[in-house]
Amino acid sequence: MEHKQIIGLLVHNHPGVLLRVTSLFTRRGFNIDSLTVSPAGIDGYSRMTIRINGDDAQAEQFINQMMKIIDVKKAEILPDDDSVASELILIKISTQNRSENDILSITSSYHASVVNIGENSITFRASGTPEKIDELVEEVSPFGILEMARTGIASLEKGDKCLNS
Amino acid sequence: MQLTGSEIIAECLLEQGVDTVFGYPGGAVLNIYDALYKYSDKITHILSSHEQGASHAADGYARTTGKCGVVIATSGPGATNLVTGIATAYMDSIPMVAITGNVSNDLLARDSFQEVDICGITMPITKHNFIVKDVKDLANVIRKAFRIAMSGRKGPVLIDIPKDVTGAKYEYTAQTPELPVNELIAEEVDFEAAAQAINQAQRPLIYMGGGVVSADAEQELLAFAEKIDCPVATSIMGLGGFPSSHRLFIGTIGMHGGYETGKATDNADLIITVGARFSDRVAGDREKFGKDAVIIQLDIDKAEINKNVKINYPMIGDLKDTLSRLTQKTEKAAHTEWIETVAEWSKNSSVTETPDSEQYAHPYHIIEEVRKLTSDDDIIVTDVGQHQMWVSQKYRFEKPRTWCTSGGLGTMGYGLGAAIGSAVAHPEKRVVLFTGDGSFHMNLNELATVCSYHLPIVVVVLNNTVLGMVRQWQKLFYGRRFSQTDPHRKTDFCELAKAFGVRGLRIQNDSQAENVLKEAFASKEPVVIDCMISPDENVLPMIPPGKTVDDMITEME
Repeated sequence: MEHKQIIGLLVHNHPGVLLRVTSLFTRRGFNIDSLTVSPAGIDGYSRMTIRINGDDAQAEQFINQMMKIIDVKKAEILPDDDSVASELILIKISTQNRSENDILSITSSYHASVVNIGENSITFRASGTPEKIDELVEEVSPFGILEMARTGIASLEKGDKCLNS
Repeated sequence: MQLTGSEIIAECLLEQGVDTVFGYPGGAVLNIYDALYKYSDKITHILSSHEQGASHAADGYARTTGKCGVVIATSGPGATNLVTGIATAYMDSIPMVAITGNVSNDLLARDSFQEVDICGITMPITKHNFIVKDVKDLANVIRKAFRIAMSGRKGPVLIDIPKDVTGAKYEYTAQTPELPVNELIAEEVDFEAAAQAINQAQRPLIYMGGGVVSADAEQELLAFAEKIDCPVATSIMGLGGFPSSHRLFIGTIGMHGGYETGKATDNADLIITVGARFSDRVAGDREKFGKDAVIIQLDIDKAEINKNVKINYPMIGDLKDTLSRLTQKTEKAAHTEWIETVAEWSKNSSVTETPDSEQYAHPYHIIEEVRKLTSDDDIIVTDVGQHQMWVSQKYRFEKPRTWCTSGGLGTMGYGLGAAIGSAVAHPEKRVVLFTGDGSFHMNLNELATVCSYHLPIVVVVLNNTVLGMVRQWQKLFYGRRFSQTDPHRKTDFCELAKAFGVRGLRIQNDSQAENVLKEAFASKEPVVIDCMISPDENVLPMIPPGKTVDDMITEME
């Protein structure tokens, strides 16, 4: 059964490593939702967090193919129920159709903070699970979303376990 | 000791035991070729007519020796000409190190003359690639490249080196090469579970592939198959990994495999896959492949498990290890009844040949006549198409590393280069290239190389004057609309050979075959034999793409 799965990747911080990873997506037909790259907190390594849409066999194949890339040190599924995941959104909403208060009544329930107010728009920042962010986007869309940017997911396993352990 | 980058390259090749490289010079590799001039007593360089030929030669060298092939080319077009050869090696897991020059660091990324991003281009067709921008990294990158190429599932690695790096000086200290490490991932419990499945099986089948040859595991496979008394079918890539004359060998499996291998696959209760990957040419219908069978897979590459076919018992590790451990765990068995059943099927396997004629020779007849003149150690190379399938069906391979064919990528034009690499590696052996007129036309420029180096290759052109395999598909699936498969070429291969300085002979029909072939094999000179084949010869039997043995075609008009 297809479902969203989050995969954590520890990669050598070499030029071209992002291309090596992403070119596999198209080559092997993996369906990618989101990809985030950041320093891993270990010298010489970056961490990639990738959300794919696929069944368990596809996720297993994804991990196995990733592990064949010489610059990939570790690739693991971060289990849904045993990981924390979060992403950040910046979203610019039109204030021409509705009052600011109407908008704020919704965004406040998502702990979204106002980061900028324009003549005809208001920009919020919010963070949370991808599902929560999806909900926020859906709720404010009737006001008119002028533009938005999402960071993609950051995810860590709960407890003491680490990807590099 | 202070050496230039180019000298470091030469020293590192020597560290790895490389004494032969293939290649073609050019602007960006002038420094490297200057070092090769200096090291010419230690490293033999074979100059091809075209970089593609050099890449296939490095591939043929690797396939027939088990060593890592090395090819060198210049930047830009030199590098892009390697692409087909690298992709061919990648698909068949052949170890190769390709060294390309590039423009100097200060000219990189400026669309300079003969600049190309060969690392970007070859990313999907190499195990790994490097661009070495600093001479201090050079030696270790070369060492790492060889280790990657030869470790685990083998394959090509490319090293791109800007020209200034090959000229810069740096301290070099010789190192003994690290041996490739192959991790055994399969655990004791895996072996026990698989052994139990094997001990319980009534109708087991071994489906082997090129991994057996790559791992040099032919002895282990033989011992295993004999102990569990199990029929052995092979992919095209596995030919030579199990002796064809052995009572358990039942031939090739897949699209042009025999009826008995197809029936055995469908009726087996257990399939033991050894170094093979269930490609579409073997498992046409992935859902129905071995439909009643429990499947065990032994492979070095974990990503092959469940990739095409669902596996019940995966066992990851070097085949030498996994096979011998599995053999220890299994009980000696006798599957007499099952083996007899398979033998019965093989009686239905024969296909009717086209009638005898004065005008044409039969491909099977030519192949059988060649087999009479070759020893089990001689090397057979093919190009791609009908002739390749006929050879895979008919030629009786007895030993590993005597067979070079582009199995995965299906590269027409592969053969002559690969034959050159094989002949360079094995001056004591006879190398026979079976090719077709279509494939031969693609890279026949390498006849110049054959002549320059006096390589006693016997080139057998099965000349049907058409692009036979594609034409066969047009007959079957495209209402006999022969679009662009009848090129009406007037090439006289005998005269052409002569123009390159190579002897040319012709076989017009079956009755001439024996004498002409004897004449060719008697001399120690290269020779091209133009064998006239009917354009209406087909490769049969054939399982149509996506189908099973139940849909097998055994007759065509």
